[in-house]
Amino acid sequence: MPSLSVGFEVHQPYRLNRHFVPDPKVKKKDLPNLYFDEVNRDLLLRITEKCYIPATTMILEMLDEGFSCAFSFSGTIIEQLEKWSPDALALFAQVARHRNAEILAQTYYHSIASCFQDKTEFAGQVKKHTTLMHELFNTDPSVFENSELTFNNEIAGCIQEMGFNGIFTEGVDRILDGRSPNRIYTCRDLPVLLRNTRLSDDIAFRFTNRSWDKFPLQADTYARWVAQSPGDVVNIFLTYESFGEHLWPETGIFEFLRHLPAELSEQNVPVILPSKVLADYPAAGTIDVPETISWADTEKDTSAWMGNDKQRTAFHALEAARVFAKDKQIWRYLQASDHFYSMASKYGSCGEVHSSFCYPSGEEAFRTYMRILSDYEGRALRYTKNRRAAGTLRTLSPETAFYFNSPSGFIGHTAYNLDQFCELVSIVPGDSFQYHLERGDFTCWIEDTLGDAELAGSIRDCTERQEFSDLVCERREQLWSRLE
Amino acid sequence: MESLRIAIFCWESLYSERVGGLASAVTHLAETLAQHHDVHYFTRGHVQDQTIGEVHYHYCQPHGSNIVEYCDNMSRGMVDNFLRFDKDQKFDYLHFNDWHAVQALHLLQDRNTILTYHSTEYGRNGNQYGDWWEYKEISGKEWYGGLVAKRVAAVSATLKNEVMHLYNVPDWKCDVIPNGIIPRQFRSDIDAGEVKRGYGIHPFAPLILFIGRLVYQKGPDLLIEAMKIVCRNHPDAKVIVAGDGDMRQFLMDRAQDLPVNFVGYIPDSEYIRLLNACDLVVIPSRNEPFGLVLLEAWSAEKGVVASNVGGLSENIDTFVDGLKVEPEPGSLAWGINTIMDEPSQAVMLGKKGRKKVERVFMWGPIGRKITETYSRVVA
Repeated sequence: MPSLSVGFEVHQPYRLNRHFVPDPKVKKKDLPNLYFDEVNRDLLLRITEKCYIPATTMILEMLDEGFSCAFSFSGTIIEQLEKWSPDALALFAQVARHRNAEILAQTYYHSIASCFQDKTEFAGQVKKHTTLMHELFNTDPSVFENSELTFNNEIAGCIQEMGFNGIFTEGVDRILDGRSPNRIYTCRDLPVLLRNTRLSDDIAFRFTNRSWDKFPLQADTYARWVAQSPGDVVNIFLTYESFGEHLWPETGIFEFLRHLPAELSEQNVPVILPSKVLADYPAAGTIDVPETISWADTEKDTSAWMGNDKQRTAFHALEAARVFAKDKQIWRYLQASDHFYSMASKYGSCGEVHSSFCYPSGEEAFRTYMRILSDYEGRALRYTKNRRAAGTLRTLSPETAFYFNSPSGFIGHTAYNLDQFCELVSIVPGDSFQYHLERGDFTCWIEDTLGDAELAGSIRDCTERQEFSDLVCERREQLWSRLE
Repeated sequence: MESLRIAIFCWESLYSERVGGLASAVTHLAETLAQHHDVHYFTRGHVQDQTIGEVHYHYCQPHGSNIVEYCDNMSRGMVDNFLRFDKDQKFDYLHFNDWHAVQALHLLQDRNTILTYHSTEYGRNGNQYGDWWEYKEISGKEWYGGLVAKRVAAVSATLKNEVMHLYNVPDWKCDVIPNGIIPRQFRSDIDAGEVKRGYGIHPFAPLILFIGRLVYQKGPDLLIEAMKIVCRNHPDAKVIVAGDGDMRQFLMDRAQDLPVNFVGYIPDSEYIRLLNACDLVVIPSRNEPFGLVLLEAWSAEKGVVASNVGGLSENIDTFVDGLKVEPEPGSLAWGINTIMDEPSQAVMLGKKGRKKVERVFMWGPIGRKITETYSRVVA
């Protein structure tokens, strides 16, 4: 008979202001109001009312009765609760200090910083989160949960070095090779708790599915499934907002949760905390994860936030923005995985999950993101070491980016900065390159938009694509070396 | 990895004389090898020797009154250039591509030589023998190249069988090494509706794309016949046929009552636009030693309906990353209907195809395969 461990993630991002237009008059301290949507407050209040207050009140009762569960709060949700809903925060504080609850560590900004090549930013955000948890709840998390359960060997190594006892990730079939997700494995000497995808999604996704043959799911059935599972421990990990927000009270989700502890003890399934899981069960083997996995969609990889060209463009621009980040806080808010999630262009049931964020479309979300990132970098120019180099290397808005065309129209390649321009110059079809070269578009863009008269001068008489590409790439490297 | 000195011989390259798909395949291979090795590329063209992407290009300017004479003359020019760079430091491996440079292979046959077949004269002739002298001369060179080269490669298992059958190349001597692709060059972020509108097509009408030479081998006539059946189920479907060839007028006559638009030869940039705007790519070839269009369609995450022949047959998993049909109109129509009945399926097949490209057809791993073939020359 396996044990059961239950974990909830509590997080809300600062959604971006869809109607953002650059406004030089806005002072630096008012930037968050310009960049982030007013709707964040309303949404938080709605979620507080529908989920945080009722669900947490109920869970507190359950904890008193001996149930146990883990919570993972992002730093941004704590900030929002402090500002807009201190009552809900007080409830969470009671939970956090409860002896039957455990607080997990994550990145403060629920960020994708773990995907950056340089891991110092990631480590910094984890530290910031740990500090917050200590100050706010007087607890020191020992188990780590990365944004979207993103995981690979490198992240395991990083978390191990930081002194955590274990990490949560998704029980993806391809890393298990037929082994059960209901056991503890190690990766780079770090114990790994694997989320049981099926039993977690039974609640998160299938609970309201009327065409599911197990609908309606009842607590006794569910407890039986857990009891019948093989292995040492079943890890259930859910977004907390499932209760009341994604799954409305009318679906019976609260009753389900309320009756679960009794049904579990009926089946003699012990409910334990993640740290106790690690203490009680030895590792059953090792896992090797060279390619990044996560809990997102059906692919269980990074394709949910780095799957299309827009997302990759935004990600690389964000990573490169480090040198512009004088005001690190806004840069870090922009790292939230939610922004990238909303730029997805997926079809089917995964697409519906993506569109549940309040953006009209992936395209619109991307454009808003790039506008804001561009404005942010533009404002930071005056503080950078080499202002002119920075001005040429900065990320542009959709309005100033370079759009590669052919005589009959746009061919679908856009350069949002010099880095991307360098790459695309050797990628785009030869006739598109020739078209712009003959019209002098490249020189104009480099001189007027990037503000690099020197580069514009050196390519003006260039007719060979290879030579052109070499000149631009050399200049790019030269400028970066001045900046770093 | 030990750094090798490699000489590549090919009658075309991306940076001078460019005839067909061979130029991009061999140039990209050379650039991949040059990341770890010293690569010299012997080809023809009216430009100065140059170094691009770490590859050193050496050109000759051949002449001749017919294609065979021309290629023999070119081979001698290549060998002259080769010997100049072979003096101080000897080349480790000499890699020849297709029959054009076989005369050079003959002159340098004592060295570590490799010959890659990208196609055969028999296949280019529509799977038929020819009785004119060029045919015999060229197949003769293909046979001789396979005989004297120390090692042989073919771009698909089908082509390997073909050269084994035609030229008695022994099985142990021949490796299968597919072509690679740079998927980024074919995938772009474009508003499909806008491109369709540019061709007078409704933004939501399903668009089928055919790209290739309009010759018997590529089977455009099969697509036209199939469309007569498809239009009964999908009256809104549209076809764009891109490319030119002998069959164009014949096909246009056949397609008079069908929603088929013959746009002729299109530049690369227009191809990228159409490829990314279409909903389905159809490859109805009768013979296809490799089928590069398949990799291009997959790179753009497009669903594919293709004939169950040659490289297409080897590389597609039906209902996983594409649909294989027999090269005849009824079967082709069934394939097209099946995909268009459920558009989301085409998207899923395309995504799986893109994954396969990233797993199997990136130049990096293919370059490693080639160097394995090199090492077998000595062993």
